Amino acid sequence: MRGIIFAIAGGALITLQGVANARISHNIGSWQAASITQLTGFITALLIFLVVRDGKWQNFKQVKPLYVTGGALAAVIIFSSIIAMQQIGVTMTVSAVLIAQLGITFLIDSTGAFDVVKQKMRLPQFIGIGMMITGVILLGI
Amino acid sequence: MIVGIILALIAGSLVGLQTIFNNKVNEHMGSWATTTLVLGMGFLASFLIGLFVEGAGMFTLHNMQPWYWFSGMIGVGVVISIVKGVKQLGPTYAISIVLTSQLAFALLFDSLGWFGLEQVPFTFKQLLGVLIIVGGILVFKLSGGTEKNQKQVAKAV
Repeated sequence: MRGIIFAIAGGALITLQGVANARISHNIGSWQAASITQLTGFITALLIFLVVRDGKWQNFKQVKPLYVTGGALAAVIIFSSIIAMQQIGVTMTVSAVLIAQLGITFLIDSTGAFDVVKQKMRLPQFIGIGMMITGVILLGI
Repeated sequence: MIVGIILALIAGSLVGLQTIFNNKVNEHMGSWATTTLVLGMGFLASFLIGLFVEGAGMFTLHNMQPWYWFSGMIGVGVVISIVKGVKQLGPTYAISIVLTSQLAFALLFDSLGWFGLEQVPFTFKQLLGVLIIVGGILVFKLSGGTEKNQKQVAKAV
């Protein structure tokens, strides 16, 4: 039961973060909003890391530079979703984000790109994505 | 409308891509070092692009509210919640619930029009749309065959 509550809270907080960013950007601008939320998130995460020490910072040398710098993508992610939320609302934005997210993950898994273990495309995943797109079209019309 | 959808699709694709990159980092560094690194990189990129686009305007924060400084901590709450959820439920069920919850709360925020966003009235059509999307997520996630995929998604957050 506690696991379910944590998972629900996780999803709620992801959406809340997006909405908060859209709200903040309304006052101070999108790039400013993206910078400030990530700066305070960074400081908080760093403090927690310094306390729990659950891994080794130095190990980043063993990871490909492309993967280490992947966090930079968040600049475009946050900026795009701020504008999207302002234009098409929260529900449509989250729906479209999830479709693209599951779609791209599936594509990468099926091609084995970026050193992931290659997996076969399966029918249920196609059906799932198809249903999600149907739902978004219904939201949009 | 089209612009908004395209931007949301770009954001989602990059989230998927970043999730995979973060997993690779996570395998070596653990979840808090990874979270720290990812947010640090995200801040640097946003700040540099902002500086390039807006120049000195990056430093004029009009109507700055005190709570804006703390909004970044929401992301830390996300990591804690999902790590704990996955530990107790396993990645498949935990991530299915996370995605469903994301959508349910999106619908709630739209209908309430909180945070000064434009209110989108709650209609039966909207509910049906969200239910079909949730059905799609469950078919995608719970139909088996992508166990590895789910583990990767789970580890990233």
